[in-house]
Amino acid sequence: MGVLRVLLSRCRALFRSRNLDADLDAELRAHIELAMADNQRNGMSAEQARTAALRAFGGVTQTRETYRVQRGLPWLEQIARDVRFALRQLRRSPGFTLTAMLTLALGIGAVTSVFSVVHAVLLKPFAFRDPDRLVVLREAVDEAGAERIAIPDNYRHFLRLRNTATTIEDAAIFAQSGASVSPNGDHPHIVGAVVASPNLFRLLGVQPLLGRGFLDSDAQKGAAEVVVLSYDSWQTFFAGDPKAVGQTLRIDGQRATVIGVLPPGMQFPQIPLAPKTAFQETARDARLFEPAVPSERDLTTDMGGFNYKVIARLKPGVTMARASAELDALQKAYTLSAHLPLHLGIALTPLTEDVASGISGALWLLFAAVGAVLLIACVNLANLQLARAVNAEREIAVRAALGASRIQLVSSRFTESLVLALTGGAAGAVLAFAGVRLLLSLVPANVPRLDEVHLSTPVLLFAAGISMVAAVTFGILPALRGLRVNPQSALRANSMRAANSRQSSRARNLMVAAQLACTIVLLIVTSLALRSFSHLLRQNRGFNTSHITLAQTDLFEPQYDTDGSNGSALRLDFTDRALTALRQLPGVQSVALTSVAPLTGQTWVDNLIRPDHPVPTAKEPAINVRWINPEYVPTMQTPLVAGRNFTAADRANPYVALISQRTAREGFPGENPIGRTITNIVPDDTHTLPDDGHKVTVIGIVADARINGLKDNAAMVYLPYWAFPPFSLSFLVRSSGPSDALIPEMQRAIWQIDPQVAIPTFKSMDDQVSDSVATDRFQAIVLTSFGAAALLLALLGVYGVLAYSVSLRSQEFGIRIALGSGKSALVRLVLRQAAYPVLLGAGSGLAMAFVALRWVGSLLYQTPVLDPLAIGGSVVLLLAAAALAAVVPSCRAASIDPIRALRME
Amino acid sequence: MGEQKSDVLQGTLDLMVLKTLESMGPLHGYGIARRIEQVSGNSLSLNQGTIYPALLRLEQRGWIKSEWGTSETNRRAKFYSLSRAGRKQIEHETENWERIAATMARFLAPSS
Repeated sequence: MGVLRVLLSRCRALFRSRNLDADLDAELRAHIELAMADNQRNGMSAEQARTAALRAFGGVTQTRETYRVQRGLPWLEQIARDVRFALRQLRRSPGFTLTAMLTLALGIGAVTSVFSVVHAVLLKPFAFRDPDRLVVLREAVDEAGAERIAIPDNYRHFLRLRNTATTIEDAAIFAQSGASVSPNGDHPHIVGAVVASPNLFRLLGVQPLLGRGFLDSDAQKGAAEVVVLSYDSWQTFFAGDPKAVGQTLRIDGQRATVIGVLPPGMQFPQIPLAPKTAFQETARDARLFEPAVPSERDLTTDMGGFNYKVIARLKPGVTMARASAELDALQKAYTLSAHLPLHLGIALTPLTEDVASGISGALWLLFAAVGAVLLIACVNLANLQLARAVNAEREIAVRAALGASRIQLVSSRFTESLVLALTGGAAGAVLAFAGVRLLLSLVPANVPRLDEVHLSTPVLLFAAGISMVAAVTFGILPALRGLRVNPQSALRANSMRAANSRQSSRARNLMVAAQLACTIVLLIVTSLALRSFSHLLRQNRGFNTSHITLAQTDLFEPQYDTDGSNGSALRLDFTDRALTALRQLPGVQSVALTSVAPLTGQTWVDNLIRPDHPVPTAKEPAINVRWINPEYVPTMQTPLVAGRNFTAADRANPYVALISQRTAREGFPGENPIGRTITNIVPDDTHTLPDDGHKVTVIGIVADARINGLKDNAAMVYLPYWAFPPFSLSFLVRSSGPSDALIPEMQRAIWQIDPQVAIPTFKSMDDQVSDSVATDRFQAIVLTSFGAAALLLALLGVYGVLAYSVSLRSQEFGIRIALGSGKSALVRLVLRQAAYPVLLGAGSGLAMAFVALRWVGSLLYQTPVLDPLAIGGSVVLLLAAAALAAVVPSCRAASIDPIRALRME
Repeated sequence: MGEQKSDVLQGTLDLMVLKTLESMGPLHGYGIARRIEQVSGNSLSLNQGTIYPALLRLEQRGWIKSEWGTSETNRRAKFYSLSRAGRKQIEHETENWERIAATMARFLAPSS
């Protein structure tokens, strides 16, 4: 209470100090007068009375000073004085101030923008209860001599672990897919759906906003179809109607009753089926939640149905390591006791880390790069500040001689940097609003949690923090210089000469070297990213996308589903009619069909089983299955290497296959695969693979094609769609006209056949290629801009230091010229001065790069980190830039007029 | 109230000022200084100036109030008077001082 009152009174006094000073003076004057009056009454003369009064009072000035200290907050006043002084200094050199603030605003703005993405995508915990206890649980294949591979979960294994493990509180199993929704009988949309065990919301600690979550009875066989809506889909499909609960929504052609709506903060993340391998997944926001009813097969198979994802909640106080150890041991024990032909274990990853695993490396790299750019900018400013500090040496000396303490000297100089950094930081935070928007337009759309990216309080705090760090980085060295000033010598010396002291020029050279070192690391990383990106685009893909338009349709409507009825026949009929209709569109040359849209990840992954050549289970090579039509191979221009393509004649006996060269190599080593049979690959009408299913004869070999993804060279088996009409159809239309004109025509043609099929994807194949490498392009574009910024800053840094030193030495150069030194000798002198920091910087930068690159390697595609072209090119670029920066000052040195230079003294 | 309890001299001056105002009523700074000198029988060497930071301190704590007025010799001067909190504080300070004095006395008493 008392302390607070005193503080308040002191703060009040700060703002009224002028009035209060007058008040105090009046009071003290009154005191002296009263004392004089008393003294005179006692018989002293006026003069004597005054002397006595003053003597009795003690020091008037000291009293006033003590009084002031007692009254206000002296340290605050000191700061205010420093700030006023700093502002005055900065106003005096507007060029420097503007440059510094602009540099800082851009630098801090860029760092803050990148950080806001890093924060939302990588750091911010999910809005679930105790999110740090949530882990993603996957099975792992542990074969001797092979790398451990995490795979999706089997339902039976999940049930066992959930019941037996003691380190986890609970676990929920789910699958993420696309569901077709047609609210009012319109053409259906595909939205992201989560089909989950009923405990999912309880596990996450999410309470529905309206209605209820799932009950265990909702997941019983034969239970009524129910759905929980995300907040977004409640807005979209029911316009936020509070009476939506109890109404129905048509999902995949079935009416489902809405039982609940989730709160707006509940963003369910897209969790990869398996790390590292990209699977064909609908990377959309989860907008519908349905209870998972396990199929008979889910409950009985140990070796199939690895189709699920599991989130588990660790018990409080249980570490990841302990939970991992327990679950892994349980699963290993089960694998042994059940005599499974695979060695299965369990792998856990924290939820936040898992969701961001695909992008975290790229984002951290960008964050490091933008941090390096800011660092380089700070070094530039440090150099400028140092030059100013040198110029201010006389003034510092005067202040030191007049009794300013060392702390005061340092703090007044440092305040200037702090003022610059904080105003620059504030401007940077404003710029970051635009920066975040720019980044979001570049970031690939499949990065998780992008809708959570915005300038939040932690991001702004970060901006403030980084401003302080910047101030320290560029302000501390020049400020400390103030300490070293010896008033006597500084006052005596000409300030111009003092500036050229060995110490300060060494400090500046070191800073330039540090700057160049950072720049070269950034340049090498950038050129490696560019090399990797260009390799990714220019490598042999095994197909040609130009003039091809892609339309992906989904036959999730119930009439196409089988369950014993004639779903297969209806799908076949739809596919045939669509192919015919598309072929008749104007300008169309050919229409290919494939079951999964190209470049969206792995498809149906299975094992290659040969009846004539049995291999132990789980040792068979893995293959990707695509269902295609005979026009696929010529339309995609994938070379046929051996054998023949499908023909219309195969329709009568559709059990034939084309295989890729890799499949031939791995499945038929040293044999001619043509005419051999494979089995267990064509599903029956219940979508399962019967052990005694059709034998499929290999009739041809096609070249390897990176059709799953440009980085993915999976072994492929192509089967004709007649054998099993797929649920998802991708039409690839080669035409002479542009995609834009063709797309509406294609849409009309497909919806004429059935208006109730969804067409979620419609674009040119060139766009599809470009979208599929969005992460790499993002990395390349952003790194290139940071690299360019760093190079520019480094160029300015070298130029600034040289130009400054030439201007300081102009007298010396004048004398040299007057004494007969040749101009070329002077140019050489300046260039030699530049060469020292440049070479030092480039050398240490290369050494740093070798350390840093080890970490970058995983972000590159088939590009060695020690790529000579990237490293050599970067060095040459940097040296060229440094030479360019040195040319102007050295020419100026050579053109100094000796007479004018000597007169300047 | 944890502030500055170690400084005995300062505490003493504060108490003297409060006691003076209690017995004399509203008084200006010079008057307070003179009164303290008189009561101490001029045995206290007090720079009159030191009274002002003390007065400010007491005012900041809310124990005394000040207002400008006219002195007995018709001069403008700032008059200080006790606040209600100040009266209470006198009791507290007196007790405190007596305890210290008693303790000191025990130390200074000739050991038997």
